[in-house]
Amino acid sequence: MELSQVRYFMTLCRTLNFTRAAEQCNVTQPAFTRAIARLEEELGGALLFRERNLTQLTELGREMRPHLQAMLDAADAASALAAARRRGMVGSLKIGLGPGIAAGVIAPAVREVAQMLPDVAIQFDEAAPAVLVEGMLADRLDCALLPEECEMPERLNRWALYTEAAVVVLPGGHPLAAKNALTAQDILGETILVGERCGGFSARLGEAAGCAFRLQRCEGAVGQMLDLVAAGLGIALLSDRLRFAPPLAVRRFSEPELTRRVVLAAVAGRPLNPAAANFVRLCRTRDFSG
Amino acid sequence: MSETLTSRLAQLLENRRQNAGWDAAYLEILEKLDREGFVSQILAPGSAFPDFVLPSAEGRFVALSEQLARGPVVLGFFRGEWCPFCRLVLGALAEALPEIEAAGGSLLALTPETGGLALKMKRFHGAGFEVLADVDFGVGLEAGVVFKIPRLYRERLVAAGLDFPQRQGNAAWCLPVPAVFVIGTDGVVAWRFANVDFSRRAEPDEIIAVLRRL
Repeated sequence: MELSQVRYFMTLCRTLNFTRAAEQCNVTQPAFTRAIARLEEELGGALLFRERNLTQLTELGREMRPHLQAMLDAADAASALAAARRRGMVGSLKIGLGPGIAAGVIAPAVREVAQMLPDVAIQFDEAAPAVLVEGMLADRLDCALLPEECEMPERLNRWALYTEAAVVVLPGGHPLAAKNALTAQDILGETILVGERCGGFSARLGEAAGCAFRLQRCEGAVGQMLDLVAAGLGIALLSDRLRFAPPLAVRRFSEPELTRRVVLAAVAGRPLNPAAANFVRLCRTRDFSG
Repeated sequence: MSETLTSRLAQLLENRRQNAGWDAAYLEILEKLDREGFVSQILAPGSAFPDFVLPSAEGRFVALSEQLARGPVVLGFFRGEWCPFCRLVLGALAEALPEIEAAGGSLLALTPETGGLALKMKRFHGAGFEVLADVDFGVGLEAGVVFKIPRLYRERLVAAGLDFPQRQGNAAWCLPVPAVFVIGTDGVVAWRFANVDFSRRAEPDEIIAVLRRL
């Protein structure tokens, strides 16, 4: 298929009118119609119904539209980044992070974008999934890292990024630090600090182990919770993708295994600015499971 | 060199064609793309290759214009890490890389696959050249090499457990024709090899000869 054919088809999807679409694409109507016919031949069927006063997408047309849009956006993104660098794009890259999802994993991708476009400001926004979804739909956020299980409307594209596992964070010198890996049995007598930003690992532990743990609610940033762990208030179950510094001790939690999958989401069919579009492409290229 | 790439590809093809189902799917691709005059849509010598920036297997950005500032670029489209024909070609190119570089060129291999598969492909061959992820076929579309996979071939891919929507992060069920371009330092395509038959590829010696003539 040719770039121009795809471009014409997307214009036709918006206008549903051959004459107007051809005008918008600056081609004659016969040339426009021929290009659409060639695309239809390649895709193996009619993309549009053409009736006297009505042009509508066929099922094939509706099926192919988002994929062709993604290809066109990718073609634009690949050349737009080259152009944005030449002219020194100003703007921002706004990334949402679900509660307790670390920025460390994607930080190298953010660095790449920022080195390419040094005048682009970087903004992270950590919030509840529903807030981030609304932020993306309202165009306040470019994309977001979210737990796979959270509710997302159809309009969001999502790509699997990695699976994170729970680790136990202990104050330095805690007796449990003598073990390499910990089980539900090991931490039965401990107080677990829980908050929105704990990734729901404690709740899942309760379900999986079938018993109640001693919980201490504690809302705030992960760093503040870690301060309380260091002060000896309790232990925490957090994502292995976060960074922890001594004197805290971190041990693998092996039984039951507590994991959650993290996806990258962005609004389907909405062209992103070159910084965001290429950040998404960079993240999709990699395997973050290691 | 003992055996040419062309003869190794021909052997692999002959082997595959023993399977009647595979053969029918293969012939369907050739017939459909030939009928459409597909090759005539592909960027031809004399046209400027559009500048692009793509993510590399290692997660860095690579710009065509920067590569061209150092010398001519050999740019090849590949179907994916799963493709045995592409494996033979990548192996041959990895072997020929010192000569390509000695002729002043550099090599960029583009794959539509995501999620770490570009890196897997690169490591498999211990490739010293850049493998780039052409996410959602953006550059492939610009070059005119992307086609929707005909029904029989798609059914075989599915039966073989190849989940393209997952591998490519895109459910379009497309592939690139594995064309190779030699792009001069002026950004213009100096030479191209394109064949709808994915078992027909450019010989590394031919590419090196083109680079030497530039």
